Amino acid sequence: MKESFAKKLAFQLKPGNFIAHLILLSVGLVLLYPLVFMVLAGFFTRDEFTSSIIGLLPIAKAPTLHNFFVLFYGSADAGIQKYFINSGYRTIYNTFWALLTSLLAGYVFARLRFKGKDQLFLILLGTQMIPGTIALIPTYLEFARFPFAGGNNIFTGGSGILDTWWVYFIGGPSLNIMGAFLVKQSIEKIPYELDEAAKVDGAGTFRIIFQILLPLQLPIMAFIAITTALATWNDFATPFFYTSSDKLQTLPAAITRLSSAAASPGAIPNWPLIITLGLGMTVPALLIFFFFQKYIVQGLANTGIKG
Amino acid sequence: MNDRKVEAASPLQMPVTNVSTQSSLKKFAVRHKDALIATAILSPMILWWLVLSGFPTLFGFFLGFFDWVGIAAHPKFIWFDNYVRFFKDPLYYEALWRSIWMGGLVTGITLIAGFGAAILMNMPLFGKGIYRSIWYIPAVTSTVATTQIFNLLLDTNNGVINNFLKSIGKEPIVWQYSVFWGVFWIVVYSVWKGVGGAALIWLAGLQSVDVSLYEAAEIDGAGRWGKLWNVTLPGLKPIATYIVITSLIGAIQIYEQVLFMTGGGPYGKTEVLVFRIYRDAFWDFNLGMAGASSLIMAVVVFVGTVFYYRWSTNSDRSSTIKIKGVKGGPKA
Repeated sequence: MKESFAKKLAFQLKPGNFIAHLILLSVGLVLLYPLVFMVLAGFFTRDEFTSSIIGLLPIAKAPTLHNFFVLFYGSADAGIQKYFINSGYRTIYNTFWALLTSLLAGYVFARLRFKGKDQLFLILLGTQMIPGTIALIPTYLEFARFPFAGGNNIFTGGSGILDTWWVYFIGGPSLNIMGAFLVKQSIEKIPYELDEAAKVDGAGTFRIIFQILLPLQLPIMAFIAITTALATWNDFATPFFYTSSDKLQTLPAAITRLSSAAASPGAIPNWPLIITLGLGMTVPALLIFFFFQKYIVQGLANTGIKG
Repeated sequence: MNDRKVEAASPLQMPVTNVSTQSSLKKFAVRHKDALIATAILSPMILWWLVLSGFPTLFGFFLGFFDWVGIAAHPKFIWFDNYVRFFKDPLYYEALWRSIWMGGLVTGITLIAGFGAAILMNMPLFGKGIYRSIWYIPAVTSTVATTQIFNLLLDTNNGVINNFLKSIGKEPIVWQYSVFWGVFWIVVYSVWKGVGGAALIWLAGLQSVDVSLYEAAEIDGAGRWGKLWNVTLPGLKPIATYIVITSLIGAIQIYEQVLFMTGGGPYGKTEVLVFRIYRDAFWDFNLGMAGASSLIMAVVVFVGTVFYYRWSTNSDRSSTIKIKGVKGGPKA
């Protein structure tokens, strides 16, 4: 046992492998550095942070957990819990819809036969190439002119659904085309006989989708869930562009506002608070990543090679 | 509940019932069963998608033909004046050019570094899973949060990097006043964020290369570099097409790091086109110019993709078939 360990160690320390270890570890630490800095800076009070000289690895002289408590209990100057909850709800809501739409659409495009299927799918895929920024302003106008909402008559008059919860409700359930593509690829690999057998046993379409095919799609579904969840969790654009009132803000939008308030001349940015919020954003994302890591690797492999 | 009715006529009963005596509606339902189910499932989704993406995108293309400053103002149709201005005003064509070369730079560095890392991670190292995770972590963090950390590191008076420079006796640098450093840090940030993902995709590609090819190369007397050059690289061609296209599309459209790190400054010399669009639309309310710039961006991305795709598939068609599904569909 010991010998084999010594052998393994010797193998790892062969010049080539040792250098590989060295490079991967040192560059990895450099990549990790901003996050380490973020954690360390979270222990500072605002006064100490602005008055002391910040070194490469800042260690607070009077470390405080205040910033971390703020994350959970909120504070007078920022309703942080609210941002957290908003971010969380949005993430769950959007992820749910992404999963549902990509599963159903994936099934339709993989299994059903109807006229114009390939063309329709090509068009949908093709739109993925168009930069999303082009839709920002029209979406803004569309939301502002939403019929019969926010004081609008038919098209104009009020502010439409801008700055209301409808921005999130309506914006969530969009068809996830990339997800549908992945599910389609994956379903096509499953033999059609499985569907046939289920049909003979009297299963309807939805039963086939949810009881026969879904259990086989779990890795792909996990990948779609992770990517959607992370994208929504980190999305600053939607709340930042289409809402303005405080009760609708999410974490990233809150950070944006805090930091742009800090950019105005004379204001001392509350860096520790910004950093703590950043930490509050990063930690859940990291947890999601660590729990579902293998699906990310698998999913990336799928999009790349088999896709 | 269209589909319920359709399901009632299951294929098993079809031979039993005489088709000719069925009502024509039922016959229609049986014959077009798939299409009906597809319509039932897809139409709400497509409708939603049209409201959220399809229509806004089309509308965005039209915006460019209007003189429209301020949301409340009346748009005026001016044909191609916005596009003419785009190519006359250095504010715009320089931003486009900057998008292209900065995107190329970011893609190049990210992919090369990621490839190196992937080769190392593919070696039989202890704990390579941990390395993989560490490298990928920046990709899951939020741009808003981490750009603030970078800003903090780059603070002029009390930033970590300037403090470090001072401590080794160098002059501190005012990063914000320099175009070079602005671009430099935007690129560094983007590479920091992207290199792990690139490494993962390259790694998946490396592991998909047929092992027997390596054995064959070994028998032919190929060394480590010989194997890399003659087996690994050709085997990676399909994935290279995929990763270069997607990374380029992503990198050309970088704007969050510009918005949060330099704000386009100094003097707008680090503005990229998508940031310019953002600025036109949400700061200056020049909707017409924003629409025109968006259309040009879309065309550039589209043309670039098509050209690169053609170029990279021309030399070897057989190995790229599977990738076709992504960018042009299976029959393109």
